[in-house]
Amino acid sequence: MIVVDKLCYRSKLRLVNAGEKFIFSVMTLLFCIISRSLLIAGIAFWVNGFLTVKKGGISFGRYIRLLAVPFTFLILSTLAIIVNFSKVPLDAYAVPVGTFFITGSKASLAFAIQLIATAMASVSCLYFLSLNTTMTDILDVLGKMHCPEMMIELMMLIYRFIFVLMETASAIMVSQKSRLGNKNLKTSVKSFGHMGAGLFIRALRRSNFLYDAMESRCYNGKIKVLSVQHPVKKKEAVGILLFELLLLGLTIWRKLV
Amino acid sequence: MSIGTEDIIIEVKDVHYAYEEDGPHSLNGVSLRIKRGQKVAFMGANGCGKSTLFLCCNGIYRPDSGTILFNGKPVDYSKKGLLDLRSKVGIVFQDPDNQLFSASVYQEISFGPLNLGLPEDEVRKDIEQVIEYLEITPFCDRPAHALSGGQKKQVSIADILVMHPDVIILDEPAAALDAKHTKMVNQIVDRLADEGITILMATHDIDYALSWADEIVLMHEGKVLLQADPVTVCTNQEALEMTNQEEPAVLKLFDKLVKKGVLKENLRPPVSMGQLEQYIEHGV
Repeated sequence: MIVVDKLCYRSKLRLVNAGEKFIFSVMTLLFCIISRSLLIAGIAFWVNGFLTVKKGGISFGRYIRLLAVPFTFLILSTLAIIVNFSKVPLDAYAVPVGTFFITGSKASLAFAIQLIATAMASVSCLYFLSLNTTMTDILDVLGKMHCPEMMIELMMLIYRFIFVLMETASAIMVSQKSRLGNKNLKTSVKSFGHMGAGLFIRALRRSNFLYDAMESRCYNGKIKVLSVQHPVKKKEAVGILLFELLLLGLTIWRKLV
Repeated sequence: MSIGTEDIIIEVKDVHYAYEEDGPHSLNGVSLRIKRGQKVAFMGANGCGKSTLFLCCNGIYRPDSGTILFNGKPVDYSKKGLLDLRSKVGIVFQDPDNQLFSASVYQEISFGPLNLGLPEDEVRKDIEQVIEYLEITPFCDRPAHALSGGQKKQVSIADILVMHPDVIILDEPAAALDAKHTKMVNQIVDRLADEGITILMATHDIDYALSWADEIVLMHEGKVLLQADPVTVCTNQEALEMTNQEEPAVLKLFDKLVKKGVLKENLRPPVSMGQLEQYIEHGV
């Protein structure tokens, strides 16, 4: 999570209007899922990768490593579809093991490939959004889409204080380690418990301080803020529109044929 | 508004405050007067009630007894009265992590003026001005968690300054800052003071208080022990000792030089090393 957060602040596409990126990412995601087509998944995967790596400036190795995480999960979960144990060999492949076969059908193989492709394309859509858009910008878009204010305010505070919490936790951990707080399993478990309790108390105190500080600035129950504006660029908007129309066309064609 | 000694912006009269009912009093009968446009340093041992007093000054805490007057009028604790008070008395908190609630610097600074109900384009103009004025531009597009302590401090001052208050209270602004950022914060504070903003600052740095302040308030166990000009306070050995303060180095050195006969006895005590150097240079 922290890696993604750092990367998105470095992305060259960061200053592109967040609404554009949001619409692009969500629409492409929708077409991937609705069409279930290998072609569309391939196009989306390639375009997202191109935008993130070439235009956004995130290193190729980094991007691949990030993609490897969901890919591993996907492979593991599709194994159940590809691999069957059966007494009768199926049409795709069959490996005899004693009286049984480890086997799979062509249909299930095709289904698995389509599933992996769609899922990876969808992941690439979300990666495009999260690697090139900061959390505050995403919240801003959600605000414009009339998400409940309460939810956005909470997300905003959580995003800010998750880092403070982690800093505090690591400081406590270092101080415990420097006093042999984890020399064996028993002390480690104990130290961890103490850290949890300590964090909880500090979080409570901090929330009181924060409330005082906000009250001092005339807080009246609603967090109103302004964000830096990045105007929509016509060229980008038209590009996105054309791309989504292309995907729409392909989706219709795939569904009809 | 009257001028001269009568122009009191904040007056605290015999204020008592305890965090818990029947608990020990954090403020134990504080009385003081702050003149408009002055730079006042608040000093005292840890836990002497400085921060509590500050939070009373902008109505976050309501005194158990005693009154606080702002511009000669007792603080009005209605919702509207409090908003009015807080729009004029701003507090920069000691730990910026307790003050900055948004990860975005721009959003953070916009919070105060929007609460004052100012129109959006005016707020945007103000934010840009304050970002430039406090030299935040180089890091204004970074998230709060990627800022250094000094940068967070700059943002937390911007938070308050953008509301254009009459009084700015700084609670130990130099705490946990390196020398460079301390200097930077001090310069910012000086510029604010030059613009006529009344500044109350809690500090443990007596050398700085001596050279910077128009007045020092020495607090002890929830009371004002001494409120006077810096030289008077800094030469009061007894009071300094009581409040865990050390006599400023420059005054110690000046004393020695006078005793040795290097400097004349009738000189005014210097408030800074620079001034003492001048005395020595000119051989008076």
